[in-house]
Amino acid sequence: MLVSFRWLQELCPVDADVAEVAHRISLAGLEVEAMEEKGANLSGVVIAEVRAKSPHPKRDKLTIVTVFDGEDEHQVVCGASNVPEPGGRILFARSGAVLPNGMEIGPRKLGGVESNGMICSETELEIGLEAEGIFVVDADNGALPGTGVADALDLHDVILDVGLTPNRPDCLGHVGIAREIGVLFGTGYQPRKAAGPSRTFAAGSSFQPGQPTTKLTSLWDTESEPIAAPKLPEISIEIVDGDRCPRYGAALVSGVKIASSPSWLRYRLHNLGLRALSNVVDATNLILLEWGHPIHGFDLARLSGSKIVVRRAAAGEKMATLDGVERTFTDDDLLICDGEGPVALAGVMGGLDTEIKDDTKDVLIECAYFDPRSIRRTSRRLGLQTDSSHRFERGVDPEAVPRVLASAAALIAELGGGAAATTAVDRIAAAYEPKSIHFRPARAARLLGTPVSKDESLRILELLGCRVVDQSDDVIIVEAPSWRPDLGREVDLIEEVARVRGYEQIPTAVPRVHPSETGTASLLKFVDDLRDAAVTSGLFEAINYGFLSVDDLRKARVSTNAVALANPLSEERAVMRTSLLPGLTEAATRAQRHGATEVRLFELARTFQPAEDALPREDTVLAVALAGQRSSWIGGDQSFDLYDGKGVIEAIVERVFGQTPDLSPGDMPGFLHPKRSALVTLESRPIGFVGEMHPDVGDDLGLIGRVIYAELDVPALHALSQELGPTQARGLPKYPAVARDIAMLVRDEFSAGEIADALREASKGLAESVKLFDLYRGDQIPDGHRSLAFRVTYRDPEGTLTDKRVDKVHASLARLAGDRFEATIR
Amino acid sequence: MAEPDAVQTFEDGLADIRGAYAEALRAAGDEPELRLINARYVGPQGELTKLLKLMPKLPGDRRRELGQAANALKQEVQAAFDDALQAIHRGAREAELTGPALDVTLPGRWQMPGRLHPITRVRNEVLQIFVSLGFDIADGPEVELYENCFDKLGFPPDHPATDEHDTFFIEGNRSSDAESVLLRTQTSTVQIREMLKREPPLAIVSPGAVYRRDDDATHSPMFFQLEGFLVDEDVTFAELKGVLTLFLRRLFDEHIAVRFRASYFPFVEPGGEVDMSCVFCRAWEGDRARTAECRVCKGTGWMEILGCGMIHPVVFENVGYDPEKYTGFAFGMGLDRIAMLKYGIPNIKLLYENDVRFLSQF
Repeated sequence: MLVSFRWLQELCPVDADVAEVAHRISLAGLEVEAMEEKGANLSGVVIAEVRAKSPHPKRDKLTIVTVFDGEDEHQVVCGASNVPEPGGRILFARSGAVLPNGMEIGPRKLGGVESNGMICSETELEIGLEAEGIFVVDADNGALPGTGVADALDLHDVILDVGLTPNRPDCLGHVGIAREIGVLFGTGYQPRKAAGPSRTFAAGSSFQPGQPTTKLTSLWDTESEPIAAPKLPEISIEIVDGDRCPRYGAALVSGVKIASSPSWLRYRLHNLGLRALSNVVDATNLILLEWGHPIHGFDLARLSGSKIVVRRAAAGEKMATLDGVERTFTDDDLLICDGEGPVALAGVMGGLDTEIKDDTKDVLIECAYFDPRSIRRTSRRLGLQTDSSHRFERGVDPEAVPRVLASAAALIAELGGGAAATTAVDRIAAAYEPKSIHFRPARAARLLGTPVSKDESLRILELLGCRVVDQSDDVIIVEAPSWRPDLGREVDLIEEVARVRGYEQIPTAVPRVHPSETGTASLLKFVDDLRDAAVTSGLFEAINYGFLSVDDLRKARVSTNAVALANPLSEERAVMRTSLLPGLTEAATRAQRHGATEVRLFELARTFQPAEDALPREDTVLAVALAGQRSSWIGGDQSFDLYDGKGVIEAIVERVFGQTPDLSPGDMPGFLHPKRSALVTLESRPIGFVGEMHPDVGDDLGLIGRVIYAELDVPALHALSQELGPTQARGLPKYPAVARDIAMLVRDEFSAGEIADALREASKGLAESVKLFDLYRGDQIPDGHRSLAFRVTYRDPEGTLTDKRVDKVHASLARLAGDRFEATIR
Repeated sequence: MAEPDAVQTFEDGLADIRGAYAEALRAAGDEPELRLINARYVGPQGELTKLLKLMPKLPGDRRRELGQAANALKQEVQAAFDDALQAIHRGAREAELTGPALDVTLPGRWQMPGRLHPITRVRNEVLQIFVSLGFDIADGPEVELYENCFDKLGFPPDHPATDEHDTFFIEGNRSSDAESVLLRTQTSTVQIREMLKREPPLAIVSPGAVYRRDDDATHSPMFFQLEGFLVDEDVTFAELKGVLTLFLRRLFDEHIAVRFRASYFPFVEPGGEVDMSCVFCRAWEGDRARTAECRVCKGTGWMEILGCGMIHPVVFENVGYDPEKYTGFAFGMGLDRIAMLKYGIPNIKLLYENDVRFLSQF
């Protein structure tokens, strides 16, 4: 909220500058987010008197004006149509002045006529929004020519932008912030009576007999001149829904003349972010800014049936609001109605038909207390947030109704040149009950970790406006003030005491933490281990949004049975991902477009699968995408292929498990190449898959080149790691190993893995390992064949192997290869 | 039967080998050549072996003497070979040590590791500090029940406190907010889950993704938070201040100043926000001019870094803890923001674009 420091000082003067006040209220919870000094950037702009004016010889719309700036007369060419007659005063920017928008004023010629300086409008000086015509100084402003404009118009102020938390509706007006300053500076806040209207009338017959009324005169600080009661329609107020509207007050002002507001009011509203419209509307806005309590003005002549009824809407009932939109209501919305139908959407916005217009003469001012929850539901349902709903939904002060009415009636009467009725209707459907709260200083001390005395507590609580209803040695019982709906239980008061003293008064201490015996859940640690393994294996971590489009899922051939958002930001982010594939491969492709030749990404995150339970299943998945070229400065670049994917998965699993996973054919997901992909297993348990993307899917997703994609199922891996337990150390071999190679020509249908397994098996336990070290196709190799060369490492754990024994076993392996795989030994 | 000529042939043979070998050695340039010469004269198929095949034809009385001569020659040749080999080795090493250097500017050859995402790095750093203080790590689902995200945390129904949590709701049958399922807007949900599961004392931190319907220059609809809380008997606000001050100094700089301001979050009271010295202009060093020009703290010397407070008794009531017996504190921070501050990342969008040029910087 924008706050005028000047206004605050009028309401609660304290001996501190704006920086000090801003600092203190910020620490206490009213965070000052910005400060702007007003009236400081207008040097060189002065009041000047029009001495003469004549039409421009060549240009219709221009006027040649002679002005006197207190020192000299200057000739100025002015484009505005409202230059006053000689004797009128305007705002004059002397040659050399720099306007707030950076424009430098200098002598120039307009249509061949010399112009020295500029006559300014509100917008040019950024003191208002009126751009039509120049600013003409009010006749009752006595400033002499030559007076600086900031002094003459009294523009000096500092505007604070205060970020208010939703628990402090009391600070949504200047009175509330002034009260807070009084608390924080220890001076307290002295409420003052409103400036009284000059003319009043006895409401008398304006209100129907039996209406509960309240006297406003005692709330005004001056005596007024009574006038004869004008002839007004008789008004009654009826509250049908007292839960949603516990209190409704109405005051009358008669005989106003709608006009524009005086410049001080326009300037104040402008600085506080509101647009000045007309005196009566501006007055209601000023009251809102002063008290933080929204009021509404009805044109009395436009209310039918002499009555106001506060009731819930009938479902489907309609009314056009002030913004010109026809609204349809539900039976949860509260309406203000006249004898015919709705005239306002309670607490949110007035109706179009009864708004203040240029011909309005008599005004009914509404000041009410509406149930915050009801206002909020209506405002949210209609998507209609207003200055009014903003305050009502947070909770205004129900006890302030008479004071606000008195203030509003007086101001509207004064600005509009009318008279205010001395009484107002004040209908109470549900009386305000103050909350009584027990406060134990000892409890406060225990929670804050610092001594809290009863005396100090009493002092602070009373400053805040709490009424002490009882006390003993260790308990104070108070009633919270009606403007603080956030104070309801002891801890609220403890916060108040801590806040008013200042959090900086609380010492710092180091707690005794009782660490748990279980520590962090092992799954979380396992996930971190996997992440580290992925990074050490050469992968870069990506983080994608959890949501994407159904189309992304469809193109990727992954499950489209996804958790859908009811209110997505866009179709592109409408469902929760069922797979990490779309996000990760898209990231890889984007990287390639940005010129990356070698893309190695992984993501370790959750996928979301709809489930029978209220909440979907969230599975943690490790996904890997390799795209582009594996770079090597020797041997040139080569595109990533399945074996890179296999290698990185092996590296990750080996790092975490100390053993190598196996690849085997199986039912592969449809997005992988049917001939270039495999399931990953560990200890015969499926833990994931790896492969080249199916070229059709790659095309649909717009991937560049053949992307390699792999996934590991993190919960399955974790379960396996729990089962296997930590790696157990093995003794080192005592006897030397003997290596022999075997090369064979074999048909493609036999995999290297199955041959190696068969060789190992046939070695009767002597082959410690069988590793492929060469694969060759080409000249001299018949089609459909390849040459495979294995290195077999023999070792006997019981003793040194003799050549003879190795020769014999090795020969049996060659025979086996020939028999079972129809291999030709080379 | 002995042949007198055989003696002559044998003696001549030895002399020839001696002479020819010495000459050949002198001519040899490198090790393979040397070994070839050696093999030709004294190897298993060499000249000397052939000569020794004459031994049976030598007269018995000369055999011993001539055998010794052949042996002597063998030893002589071996010594000469060793000398020559050593000379060649020394020459080669000399040449390597004095010759041209390797081009050290050629690229290195190793499989380089990848990199953690900057958010993960910061997360790990933050977790490490809290784990060292005795906190456990926990997590919770990203798709949550309304009640865990709001009601149980003490958000009043139909209250503007939820305005800052512009929430993504999950499609489904729901007649009211309270029955709805949503994307969690804060990691504070883990407080509720852990407290419902366990009894005090509790010391837990919980990082994770959260979602809000904000997408502009400074907001990302998904971002990362870290929640922490401690519940025990007699936990105080003073301890909250102590822990967070310690944490921020360890994370950023031991010299930073930390201040606590009153603020409002429905699930804590007293509630506060924490500011620390601006880490961009290093405000704690007291260079006023530098701070005055700092765009990050706008010349104030302070930056907002986290929210905190004493856990509200209503939260304890909602999870079945006795608020008279237990007190606790909670705090929350944006890991994105900390990553941005720590690494000088100018734009939050960079964190979620996965541009390899960005990821490879960390």
